[in-house]
Amino acid sequence: MRGLAWSRVQLLLAAALLLAVLAALCTGAFFFPPAQVLRFAGQSLGLVAEGEDTFERNVFLMLRLPRVLLCGLTGATLGLSGALMQGLFRNPIVEPGLAGTSSGAALGASIVLVFGGEATAITAPLGAAAVPAMAFAGGLAATMLVYRIASVFGKTDVLALLLAGIAVNAACNAGTGFLSYIARDPQARSITFWNLGTFTTANWPGTALVAAIFLPCLLIVLRQGKALNALMLGEDDAAYLGLDPDRLVFRLLVLNTLIVSVATAMVGVIAFVGLIVPHMVRLLRSSDHRFLLPASALIGATLMELVDVLARLVIRPAELPVGIITALIGAPLFLYILLLHRRRLAG
Amino acid sequence: MAGAALTVEQIDYAVRGKALLRGVSLDLLAGKVNVILGPNGAGKSTLLKIVSGRLKPTGGRVLYDGEDVGQIDAATLARRRAFLSQHVEIDAAVSVGTVAMMGRYPHFARTPGHRDRDIVEGALALVGIAHLRDRLYPTLSGGEQQRVQLARVLAQIWADESAPVRRTLLLDEPLAGLDIQHQLQLLDVLASLTAEGCTILMTVHDLNLAIERGDRLVFLRDGMVADTLDRPATPDDALIRRVFDVGATMLTGADGQAALRFHR
Repeated sequence: MRGLAWSRVQLLLAAALLLAVLAALCTGAFFFPPAQVLRFAGQSLGLVAEGEDTFERNVFLMLRLPRVLLCGLTGATLGLSGALMQGLFRNPIVEPGLAGTSSGAALGASIVLVFGGEATAITAPLGAAAVPAMAFAGGLAATMLVYRIASVFGKTDVLALLLAGIAVNAACNAGTGFLSYIARDPQARSITFWNLGTFTTANWPGTALVAAIFLPCLLIVLRQGKALNALMLGEDDAAYLGLDPDRLVFRLLVLNTLIVSVATAMVGVIAFVGLIVPHMVRLLRSSDHRFLLPASALIGATLMELVDVLARLVIRPAELPVGIITALIGAPLFLYILLLHRRRLAG
Repeated sequence: MAGAALTVEQIDYAVRGKALLRGVSLDLLAGKVNVILGPNGAGKSTLLKIVSGRLKPTGGRVLYDGEDVGQIDAATLARRRAFLSQHVEIDAAVSVGTVAMMGRYPHFARTPGHRDRDIVEGALALVGIAHLRDRLYPTLSGGEQQRVQLARVLAQIWADESAPVRRTLLLDEPLAGLDIQHQLQLLDVLASLTAEGCTILMTVHDLNLAIERGDRLVFLRDGMVADTLDRPATPDDALIRRVFDVGATMLTGADGQAALRFHR
């Protein structure tokens, strides 16, 4: 019975995502009526005859569609990552932004953006993949540093985690700031803008790369629901159930860093989504990871699409960086979650 | 099915050059209640973790039916031996039923089967907490949480007639958080497990309950075995003094059961 109810909730969430995607496809500097969007889709699939609006169609296919897809993938990445990290650290207030993953990735990517991929022997052979590759290296270094400092005897200390996160974030942000200061003007502008998170630069190759990394990782992570549940008991008790907690945590942290870094390399740092989304899911049902993980990915994608719609509407025809909106919505929600926790602790 | 023959051979364990266990050998009774006793810091919990396979000893070995615990595949081991920790804290909104079902995780791949559900129901009923099934674990009292964990480990090594295995249950201070009624209930559950042939090894602080319910008592002091006594165990004053640094007087109750009183 519970299984049925779960799949029904998942279906509702998937339907909400589809509606949000449709809304995101319609809105922007150019407004496409829903009927036109559906016709473009039909034409691309060869179901509907070619129309006369080829210019609009090109705008839609080359700009709007990759942007909306990248936005959904990024939201799913951040939602999944929040749920995953909160499970791995056994702590409900972790997310890639707080744990240093995003800012480390941003620093790694900035190095390539400012100096160019050819500048170093390591990044030169990577070509276009240099930005995401360096983002991954930076994100991994930052995450592992925070994780090492925060975990003592198999347990993560909340205070140490937050403090280590603050320090690593400050160092990485200083590094990125320094790079944007010494950079030539156009690079600097792109770094500043991208530091707040934006989907304006979305293109097909970038979107395809994010999808190619995220989708296989999603499938792997969704198989770990049982293991992440067992980890709630603590590392020792998870081990008595036949798991290897050290290996599990390490592998999933690397996987998590990979998806967050690649998304960050494309769109910049977007805070709070990873933190808020799993909490929304917990309000819906439970903390069972077999539900939490897929639902967080779905809600993350939906939320991101809606935020991006807002970003394109508020100061139309110009647009806001999405990171500003997520922080504006996320920060008060975060404070509310902290208050709820305090109230629960107070009984 | 008889309980697993559990052998602990010459265990040494040292952390940063400090020896916590030195040459500990235990000859344990299969299908019986084996109790480890000793003062704080004697190495009881460390020894139990080594027996479970979670900690690797610096020397010596642990054998389940003659097989080195380090060589047994993790999933197989999880179906044969369970471990009840002292205190399990969960900071997430999960139901009692979900926690108890975790005990069945080594037995199913993705979704629990009918048998797994039946076993969890049986384990919750056996511990007397079937009515708590839908409650959220963090909202329970410490004693109730401890009983949920007991139900979980019972579900983990629940008897399976179709595929009998020799089972072992390890418990670290299982009586610590429980009131007297539930202490006795837990000991009754352990007795019913040994009746099915499960081997029990646990650490206990209450010497009187250990004497009453234990089949074999192992006294640990400073990481070494001080003595081993079998039922009916009557530890003398000298042994108690040597292990716990206190004096003891043996009293005999109206039912003929011996009980110890302690003094400095």
